[in-house]
Amino acid sequence: MERRHHSQSHSQRQQRRNHFSSSSSSSSNQSRSNNRFSFPKSSSSSSSSSANDVRDRRRETQEEKQEEAIVGTCPFMCPEAERLQRQRLRDLAVFERLHGDPRNSSPALAVKKFCRTMSAKEVRASDVRPLPVLEETLNYLLSLLDSTEHPFEVIHDFVFDRTRSVRQDLIMQNIVNDKAINMFEKIVKFHVISHHKLRSSCSSSSISPLHYLNLEQLTKALTSLYNLYEANRSSKPIHEKEAEFRSFYVLLHLDSNGQPVGESLSLWFRHVPSPIIKSKEMWFARQALRYFQMGNYRRFLSTVAAEASYLQYCIIEPYIDEVRSLALCCIHNCCYKLHPYPLGHLSKVLMMEESDVELFCNAYGLQTCIDEVGNKLLPTKQTTFCRPKGGLQNYSFLGFQQLGSHMLSSLFYNHFLLVPMKPFSHVDGWN
Amino acid sequence: MAYMSMGEAHRRITDYLNRFSDAVSSQDVASLKQLLSFSSNSPSLLSLADSLNVFQDANRLIKQSDNYSPFADITVPLFRSLQHYRTGNLVDAYLAFEKSANAFIQEFRNWESAWALEALYVIAYEIRVLAERADRELASNGKSPEKLKAAGSFLMKVFGVLAGKGSKRVGALYLTCQLFKIYFKLGTVHLCRSVIRSIETARIFDFEEFPKRDKVTYMYYTGRLEVFNENFPAADQKLSYALINCNPRSEANIRMILKYLIPVKLSIGILPKDWLLEKYNLVEYSNIVQALRRGDLRLLRHALEEHEDQFLRSGVYLVLEKLELQVYQRLFKKIYIIQKQKDPSKAHQMKLDVIVKALKWLEMDMDVDEVECIVAILIHKNLVKGYFAHKSKVVVLSKQDPFPKLNGKPVNS
Repeated sequence: MERRHHSQSHSQRQQRRNHFSSSSSSSSNQSRSNNRFSFPKSSSSSSSSSANDVRDRRRETQEEKQEEAIVGTCPFMCPEAERLQRQRLRDLAVFERLHGDPRNSSPALAVKKFCRTMSAKEVRASDVRPLPVLEETLNYLLSLLDSTEHPFEVIHDFVFDRTRSVRQDLIMQNIVNDKAINMFEKIVKFHVISHHKLRSSCSSSSISPLHYLNLEQLTKALTSLYNLYEANRSSKPIHEKEAEFRSFYVLLHLDSNGQPVGESLSLWFRHVPSPIIKSKEMWFARQALRYFQMGNYRRFLSTVAAEASYLQYCIIEPYIDEVRSLALCCIHNCCYKLHPYPLGHLSKVLMMEESDVELFCNAYGLQTCIDEVGNKLLPTKQTTFCRPKGGLQNYSFLGFQQLGSHMLSSLFYNHFLLVPMKPFSHVDGWN
Repeated sequence: MAYMSMGEAHRRITDYLNRFSDAVSSQDVASLKQLLSFSSNSPSLLSLADSLNVFQDANRLIKQSDNYSPFADITVPLFRSLQHYRTGNLVDAYLAFEKSANAFIQEFRNWESAWALEALYVIAYEIRVLAERADRELASNGKSPEKLKAAGSFLMKVFGVLAGKGSKRVGALYLTCQLFKIYFKLGTVHLCRSVIRSIETARIFDFEEFPKRDKVTYMYYTGRLEVFNENFPAADQKLSYALINCNPRSEANIRMILKYLIPVKLSIGILPKDWLLEKYNLVEYSNIVQALRRGDLRLLRHALEEHEDQFLRSGVYLVLEKLELQVYQRLFKKIYIIQKQKDPSKAHQMKLDVIVKALKWLEMDMDVDEVECIVAILIHKNLVKGYFAHKSKVVVLSKQDPFPKLNGKPVNS
């Protein structure tokens, strides 16, 4: 049975409660304290000021008691009662089946499902997993990402749901220390990778529901992570990977005209600590933002190729298509008609393999041609230019190595993620 | 402090209580206001606090008198709050004041007319200011600051009391502004949305009915929100309203408005005069304005770096950063003007190499490919009229109006 790691003082508990709980629960504090106590109204009693003080103080400790977090005692990845029930109901995911049997699982395979609970009071301690079990559970779940037996969507679906439950257990127990930060960072990484991989497999122009839901949880987990960083500020001013994870927020909001998810960037920057703003990762994100907003497709694409980490690339990928689209639009509409644009050069500008460039142009209703020496060219100001009807397929991005799926889990255990991708070797003159 | 006798203390306390009940019965809001304004630190309130320490049985005094007992719910916690305030226990002072304020609201509800509105304003103000100080006290003791948030909830409740059909509704805007100040301070700016929606869409409110001072403050905050969301036309309209209607003598307020209005105006191509920046001490914008006038990209970058922290904290950094395209436009225009002077017939053709050279002179290292990209973007966004020829590495400008002005609209994205 796991107890919280360090003894919590009153002030620390208060701090946690306010930094970690969602806004809805803290506002309900107010109403709860008003309803809970049936002290007689002050006007009718002859209460002196000291009695009022005592009442106020007692109210505070009462409020605290009901916020006292659960300490989980479940020793398995899945509470036994749930596992047995799901076995009976044949509600087992493929990864949970013992020898493929849909009616049988084991403590080594079953993982607690995510389930919305109304309030912490309804939950039993035996259903909640303590920190070490949660750590093991998360590591197990992430190891499944390497599996080659199942399509990624299936793996994603399972890990998505089960990590959501892990997050829930952490929050319910109010675990806000370094280990919680570590776990949330890994979970965010998972969502970022999924953001990239689900997009690759999605062919229609509309965002698939899986992709959208993943983005939703990515944002939620990221917000929780930021709260954790803040809550631990006094013990650790800046966390090792905080700069990179903060940069994700910027990269998720490059398009200020899109749906504002959360705060606008101008507001968000106000609360970012200065050392983070000056970090290398944040500098990259801000440059990407600047070039994107300006429309400087050249610098945007080359900077991403040169400096983005793997995770940053995963997040920024949708914008790469947008920028390429803008580049094509600009070149096509603003270039002199009698000087067709060489595809070789366009390939440099778009940071795309030349073979892909041709397909890209075709997707926009544009034809290419060949000159007398065999160079491929794009005639400009064609009347057939149009937005692609379906979604765009995946094109190469020069300098980016697709990670084989067997390498995914390695992303969680070393610092590979911070190594920038190699710029495309024969492109010169990039600043 | 001179020794105060028990009798003297008793006298001062009853004096206050008499003034309170007189003010209420004669609906004298001017007097009532003064009795509630802790932060004014008036001598009479301070000596009242001292009196309460000497004569410790004020509560019995209140409860036993027919004159004072009707307002016991208000005055008993008010006295307690005042004592805590005097001894510097701001957290306890806040808690007690909120209790008193709550009781005051209940009475206020029952009063038919809006005579006590200004006293309500004082209470709202005190709640906010006390909460801010209480939070500072909590933070300095290593505890989590939560009183300002509580004050926000409380004032929302008060807002609800005012949002009705009667004459009290003109007070709603003052409450809104207090809420804005709280939300901005806490960083929970998204909470402004619901109260803005009430003010702007509820049929009981007619914006023109509100007092001018409150309208100015309201437009200032909503204008700032538009700046954060980069809605420049709306930001221009609101902040300009605030500026025009602001008291011309309150320079501090004008400065606050200008701090946000200037970046907005710059974004739509309107430059402030230097004397304006100097008069209101907004010299952090001087170099940026200069950069726009001269087409000096290096100066723009430098100005952004120099005041980066300040601009990020106030939330205008991203707005100013976007001015880069306008600076490019200005630079190209200058090159064009120089070329025109040398040879008018060839001026409309600009070699990309010339631009590269100009940029190098500004210590900006850009190759011809990037310059082509910038040219393409400027044309695309209608900051330059013309086209570029890739093979000959030339941009050909339109003979008419090759550098269109923004004309009050932001650069289209």
